[in-house]
Amino acid sequence: MFFYIVTLLVLGCINGIMVVGLNLQYGYTGLLNFAFYTYVAIGAYVAGVTTMGKPPSGLGSEAYILKWTLPWPIGLLLGGLAAALLGAIVFSFTVRRLRSDYLAIVTVATAFIVWNGINNYVPLFNGGNGIFGVPYITGNANISTNQYSFLILLVTAVILAAAVWFSRRVFRSPYGRILRAIREDETIVAAFGRSVWRSQLWVFVAGCGLGGLAGGMFVFYIEAWSPTAFLPLESFFLMAALIIGGSGSYWGALLGAFAVIEGLNELSRYVPTFGKPEFAGNIRAIVIGLVLILVLRFRPEGLLPERWLRWYSAKTRKQFSAISSKAG
Amino acid sequence: MNSFVQAIGFGLVTSAILALAAVAISLQVSVTNFINFAYGDFMTFGAYIAWTTNHWGLSFPLSLLIGAATTGLLGVAANLLVFRPFVRTKKVKPVALLIAGVGVSFIVQNGITMIWGVEPKRYSISLGRSLHFLGLSLTPGDLIIIISSAALLALLHITLRYTTFGKSLRATSNNTDLAQACGIDTDRVTTLTWFIAGVLTAGAGVGLALEETAMSPTLGFNELFVIFGAVIVGGIGRPYGAMLGALLVGVLTEVSGMYVDAGYKTSIAFGVVIIVLLFRPQGLFAASGKTS
Repeated sequence: MFFYIVTLLVLGCINGIMVVGLNLQYGYTGLLNFAFYTYVAIGAYVAGVTTMGKPPSGLGSEAYILKWTLPWPIGLLLGGLAAALLGAIVFSFTVRRLRSDYLAIVTVATAFIVWNGINNYVPLFNGGNGIFGVPYITGNANISTNQYSFLILLVTAVILAAAVWFSRRVFRSPYGRILRAIREDETIVAAFGRSVWRSQLWVFVAGCGLGGLAGGMFVFYIEAWSPTAFLPLESFFLMAALIIGGSGSYWGALLGAFAVIEGLNELSRYVPTFGKPEFAGNIRAIVIGLVLILVLRFRPEGLLPERWLRWYSAKTRKQFSAISSKAG
Repeated sequence: MNSFVQAIGFGLVTSAILALAAVAISLQVSVTNFINFAYGDFMTFGAYIAWTTNHWGLSFPLSLLIGAATTGLLGVAANLLVFRPFVRTKKVKPVALLIAGVGVSFIVQNGITMIWGVEPKRYSISLGRSLHFLGLSLTPGDLIIIISSAALLALLHITLRYTTFGKSLRATSNNTDLAQACGIDTDRVTTLTWFIAGVLTAGAGVGLALEETAMSPTLGFNELFVIFGAVIVGGIGRPYGAMLGALLVGVLTEVSGMYVDAGYKTSIAFGVVIIVLLFRPQGLFAASGKTS
């Protein structure tokens, strides 16, 4: 039971890093990215191939690039950097040419291209079979699966805490204010002489980088990665989690990751299913769909809205009263 | 050369199917000005309903009609239950409607899985044996798909161009407030548009299921972004542009299949979309698309 909870927490923390990253893009800046999981996957693949070395013989043929044996923290960072780089490329090619909802369609199109490429081009990341046999981050040390889960939990929790701290810093900074202003009306931001494009680029890259880090930890945890692990649908679950939790608020992002993704996933195992037990995943998706529509309709700011961030409301109120008193 | 002509032949079949769905999406976007994300699953729904009635012993054309009408009603229901309440609230962002569409897509797609299961389903009829003519080898079914798609689109063109309903639809799409001021019942026009769009997507779904010989619950969803590609290439909210966009994307994907591995076909389609967006964000065939 204890290690069951540890496993849940690990997955919750990994999803938490992803949703916090997505919150930087969509919640803060309004950049709708329906392809977030692509960046997670790139992080996972790069972290895998830079740390696992040559494929072990006798396990079937496995073809992939690099085959480096770097220490895992460096592999993890490289994964994050690769995801950030891909984000920068995709962003500079697509954003600013389309209205946001049409842009979202294009992000999905790029995700399909990347997915297709990885699935078909075997020498890159072993095609449809994916990479497997990624070693434990402890190397050859003799360690049980449960102890390993616990170790991964510690590392992911630290990364998640750092991600939340980072997104809190961004939120409170002048830069964060520019991002929120862009979300509300980018023409006004441009009229005040700020570069909308540059501000969006950095936050998009940072979000993708966090996704890459989450992917790296994921691959160290489950020791394998393949195209079935990042089907386009996964990105939609992340987006749903963020919106239900409360986009724009890092607490909302955390709530979404733990309650919507993990919570519903576990709950649907215990709910008596109609007919066959294999429908648990379908029921979960239907519930998420319903909750998503209801939240958007009746509580568009999510369960833990951005305005609940105490600093935000207190400070803006103070500023507002200062301005209004000055104006007389 | 021969295989090139053949690839164009296959491209025409793909285009005929894409065009139905792309025109449906473009028509609905032109009236409501937001994208419905669930169209892929509407296609699947239509194909499965037609399969069920066909399975019960009804003839295939009749099953097709029932599937189309049911999907039309599904579109109307989705509009009334989900989308219209959003549109009625002030200051709704198109993004919120897009994400609500994702919710509808989750519900419909997983509902289909729960009703019909994941095992592939086949229609009792097939496309028939290949005929060879003019360097093409197409089955009679392929020809019927192309002809009926063209006929449906021609019918739609006549409806839009010459009937009162078509006029009020075009007026609503051009300027909803002005149309309302002229006494057009825009709610009725919108409802009918959803119905027509549902009928067309169901046709595309059945065509796709016939072409792929079997259907699964992700039949339409997998094809959705190729269709969006055709819509974007043609200029969003431009039904006639969508026809040309579908033709371009359909033929290009099949012809490119000759030169690169077939697995990259959809990537080619998306590559075309992105290149078009880089140079003509409003779409190839639109003077000024609805880009803002």
